[in-house]
Amino acid sequence: MREEAHRFGRGNHLVGIAGVPAAATGETGVIVVNAGLVHRIGPFRLHVELTRQLNASGYPTLRFDLSTLGDSAATGGGQTRTQQVCADLDDAMNLLKARAGCERFVLVGLCSGAQNAHIVAATDPRVSGAVFLDGYAYRTVGYKLRHYLPRIADPGRWARLLRRRGSANGVGGKPASEPVFAVAPAPRAEVIADFTGMVDRGMKLYLVYSGGISNYFNHARQFRECFGKVMSHPAVTTRYSAESDHTYILTGDRARLLDGIGGWLTQNFPPAATGRHA
Amino acid sequence: MRTDAEIPFFFGPAGDLFGMYHAPALPARRALLMCPPLGQDLIRCHRLYRQLAQALAAQGMAVLRFDYYGTGDSAGGSAEVDWERCVADAAVASHELRSRAGVDRVVAFGARLGGSVALAAADRARFTEVIAWDPVLDGGDYVSALDALQVALRDDTERFTRPRSDADIAEQWLGFDIGDHLRQQLSALHLHAANVPTLVLDSLPSAPVSRWERIVSPRGAVASIVPPTPWDDLRRLESAILSQPLIQAVSGRLKETA
Repeated sequence: MREEAHRFGRGNHLVGIAGVPAAATGETGVIVVNAGLVHRIGPFRLHVELTRQLNASGYPTLRFDLSTLGDSAATGGGQTRTQQVCADLDDAMNLLKARAGCERFVLVGLCSGAQNAHIVAATDPRVSGAVFLDGYAYRTVGYKLRHYLPRIADPGRWARLLRRRGSANGVGGKPASEPVFAVAPAPRAEVIADFTGMVDRGMKLYLVYSGGISNYFNHARQFRECFGKVMSHPAVTTRYSAESDHTYILTGDRARLLDGIGGWLTQNFPPAATGRHA
Repeated sequence: MRTDAEIPFFFGPAGDLFGMYHAPALPARRALLMCPPLGQDLIRCHRLYRQLAQALAAQGMAVLRFDYYGTGDSAGGSAEVDWERCVADAAVASHELRSRAGVDRVVAFGARLGGSVALAAADRARFTEVIAWDPVLDGGDYVSALDALQVALRDDTERFTRPRSDADIAEQWLGFDIGDHLRQQLSALHLHAANVPTLVLDSLPSAPVSRWERIVSPRGAVASIVPPTPWDDLRRLESAILSQPLIQAVSGRLKETA
């Protein structure tokens, strides 16, 4: 396997690293997009570890920086962010096709990366699979029950709340962590329609949500609560990892995530050595 | 910014080091090698390193950013990071920069452990000057600080829904595997002055400037950068470190010594 550094794109403005297994041609390529503002190596080098593990399994990969992120520049073309993301991923797919002969692609994104991958997965027929890590989600009735009922029934929590109210209005209290990653909301019906359209055209989806988004997602059942029956479609695999944080800071959590993605890919898109995927 | 002036490539004897070369806007007489810090500091500083490289390339300096073996886009796993290899990689990168830029005078810049690498590699890499931003001088203190942050991470209920076990956090520092070898190397790290002019840019909170005396040569200096940089703040672990004063200080220094 070799990794290649590329400057590419219609404005020659994008930077990425392609991983090309020696015998890989004509198979599904995997493209990993930025998580938040972190450059292409991913949080704690998640994207480097992921792409190399997939290369070792025979998948060509590309981890790259979208326009204005990491080492990639803006094109200055006056496009909306959505248009820019679509154009960037079109350039990325063309690059991986040129380097490894890939005709179809699996997109992987965490948080805002999941959102960007979703935009393209919903519209580009070359995308045959997607891995959404902490992507779209909504506080459901089930979420609220699971979140609030234990708190209402906990007398210790009431006592702590009253003590906090009695103290100097929070002055000197522990400041909250600065939000770094966030998924901008999209209308739920629109997201459900997108998922339905994706599986109807034969896409495979893998949704992995973590305990790091417990402010709006807190149980494996919530996939179905959020998105309805499409989550029970055989093409959709879901996983809720309550113990993990949003960016998989612990190496054990990260290894389990990578093994999960690798296993899902092998099952749904067998690499060249074990036969071509459908 | 000309995108064709920023060239990503792999280099080194085995082609396993990643670099980003910023070609100068004018014929260069000097070059700058940017030694990255390690671990999460590398990710936090990425944007600032790029901004600084672009500013200096526009001033007419050839600039090379790179990743040590086991870091960033370079080959190798995070557990394979080795201090001696980092120092050797800085020397390899310096050679690559001279070759690409066609100049012999190379200044080194580095933040935190990147500054330490630059100081340790100064002779071998034939740097003409080192600019070190809050370099780590005593590895023992640094290791203790990272160990303490890792313990705090275990119990961080803003990150995890419940505290994690000791086994979950073992042999890691803030997201990265850490081998015994690197731990021992950093624990034993005790930097001395390099044989070249050294500018220390100090943005550490509430500590005496005198701490830098032993690494600042007679031709060197210490300059303060404000506001203090939140290197070791768990709540900002995933926030980029940006500093316009730092860019101005480095640019100003390189103009002075041109």
